[in-house]
Amino acid sequence: MKLIEALRIIGEKQNPELPTLRVRVVCGFTPMHFQTFLQAHLRRSRPDHRVEITSGIYGDIWGTIGKLNEEDTDIAVVILEWSDLDARLGLRGLGSWSPTALPGILKNVQLRASELRASIGRIANSVPVAVCFPTLPLPPFSFVPGWQGSSLSLEIRATMASMGLDVSRIRNVKVLDTQRLDMLSPLAERFDPKTEVFSGFPYEVAHASILAELLTRLTALPTPKKGLITDLDDTLWSGILGEVGLHGVNWDLEHNSHMHGAYQRLLHAFSESGILIGVASKNDPEFVTQALLRDDLILPGRSLFPVEASWGPKSEAVERILRAWNISADDVVFVDDSPMELAEVQARHAGIETKLFPKNDYQALNELLYSLRDLFGKSSISEEDSLRRDSIRRAHEGTPQSSGKSLEVFLEQAEAEFSFDFSKYPVDDRAVELINKTNQFNLNGRRISEAGWQNFLKQQDTFLLVTTYRDKYGPLGKISVIAGRERGKTIVIENWVMSCRAFSRRIEHRSIEELVRRFGADEVTLDFEATPKNGPLREFLADLLDSPPSSTCTVSRNRINEFLSNCLPKVTEVAHG
Amino acid sequence: MADIRERLMDCFAAVFPDCSKEDIPKVDHYNLARWDSVASVTLFATIEEEFGLELDLEDLPGLVSFEKILAYLSTKVAA
Repeated sequence: MKLIEALRIIGEKQNPELPTLRVRVVCGFTPMHFQTFLQAHLRRSRPDHRVEITSGIYGDIWGTIGKLNEEDTDIAVVILEWSDLDARLGLRGLGSWSPTALPGILKNVQLRASELRASIGRIANSVPVAVCFPTLPLPPFSFVPGWQGSSLSLEIRATMASMGLDVSRIRNVKVLDTQRLDMLSPLAERFDPKTEVFSGFPYEVAHASILAELLTRLTALPTPKKGLITDLDDTLWSGILGEVGLHGVNWDLEHNSHMHGAYQRLLHAFSESGILIGVASKNDPEFVTQALLRDDLILPGRSLFPVEASWGPKSEAVERILRAWNISADDVVFVDDSPMELAEVQARHAGIETKLFPKNDYQALNELLYSLRDLFGKSSISEEDSLRRDSIRRAHEGTPQSSGKSLEVFLEQAEAEFSFDFSKYPVDDRAVELINKTNQFNLNGRRISEAGWQNFLKQQDTFLLVTTYRDKYGPLGKISVIAGRERGKTIVIENWVMSCRAFSRRIEHRSIEELVRRFGADEVTLDFEATPKNGPLREFLADLLDSPPSSTCTVSRNRINEFLSNCLPKVTEVAHG
Repeated sequence: MADIRERLMDCFAAVFPDCSKEDIPKVDHYNLARWDSVASVTLFATIEEEFGLELDLEDLPGLVSFEKILAYLSTKVAA
């Protein structure tokens, strides 16, 4: 982004009624253009918020950290540079670089790093923190020539690396990956000595822009895609199965098809992380079944579900896969070596992200691997992630439709077990993750920030119900969250979400039954709001209320009991909290 | 010259979004309260980026109005 574009973005009027996102920039320099870029990128990525950025006084990173508190900050962005660790490591400070002074510099860096580690830990107790470690080259303070690593500079870098590792393990802290910054912003083009000396701003404009963009992504990780649909011929493997036969397709060095193997390796890692991998291939289904049984595949055939092999349009195959996964096209990436197939799928599924498999371009293939990792990347892998693929396959096999039984009979025989957990602490990241990524069964589509969630949990009158489910087809994990407030004999539900994997299990019925029983409530008020995607929730509420839901609708306990008595099978329950 | 003027107008409009298009040619460091030292640094960085040049430090003290910056750029930028 150019500076003039950033200025135009922040010059646009914002709706004063939008909620405010308060961002505190913690750095020792005057943030100037960096702050302009950060504001512009945050505005673009958070159009539903007014962005307010504040920063501290020049040279006083420690004072800025000390004053930071959760009352006036939603996100903290900490940017360290060498001069924050010792002023002699900056151009402006003219302290001695004499050899006798150098051990003192190292000692100072180590001391400051330790203090900073503790400060970041303190802040992260209440506010999410994005941290960036020094991005600029070290100045020529050591007596060795620049091409030789001095023990001093290596030790200073090791101190930073160790500190980075430590803070990355703190809950609520995310650390900027310097490798990605190195790829986008060449080290030699980052420092602007003129503006450092005259304005106290050390960055070239281009570096400030890239840094702000990456830190924006770090503060609000894009929602990861959930599923990848891949072509087979000349994509998952090299060769056309129908032409070269079962043993003619390959993905190895010997056949100059190694990059197909590299692609398979990434997809295997995806699959093992809970990302859904399906196949849409124009092929003979019998050939494909045989080929996917090959035991030398790096991505084993069992990792793929569903496998749609036919001679029909790929957009139809994609349609069937989306239905089996029960997710929308927006959550999916389609990879194929044919631009025509990509366009055909894109035309029918507008939200899907398509990626060309550039089969003979090694550089582009390598970039594809990075790009896919970015699209599917997440901060951590939960127990639910590891259950997802198998639970969807089981759900497909074990549904009333596939079993030919009615839903009631199917559920009675499912041996369902529910676990209801009302504990607010320790903070369960899965609860907020479900609230922030569920679309279809979502009471109002509202997302919540980490700070907002912590603040909600702290309040005395709030409650949280997390439901875990398993049946004879296997576990689904934590799949439903209800959060709200107790107001006398009324329960007010502010958030209610349920994973789409949990549909048709009457989990929503069991959850509201448990809620009413737990609080002895006379009525339940639901803070409902229709969204373009929450049709399944809307249908459930219409059944519960016996009329289409309005915003903020209330239902009595008697009506809930009457409704539930008509549709709940016998189950086993386990209560917690 | 007309092109330089338009591009400079864009720079001023981005840095001082409250200024109308009619007012921009008349602004200077003295009659525009928002034109402080921080705005100067932002304005000069925007101009450097827009015109692909580096302003000389010794020239900056004289660049205190739209017209003076326009005249300066006219000598530095190939038409």
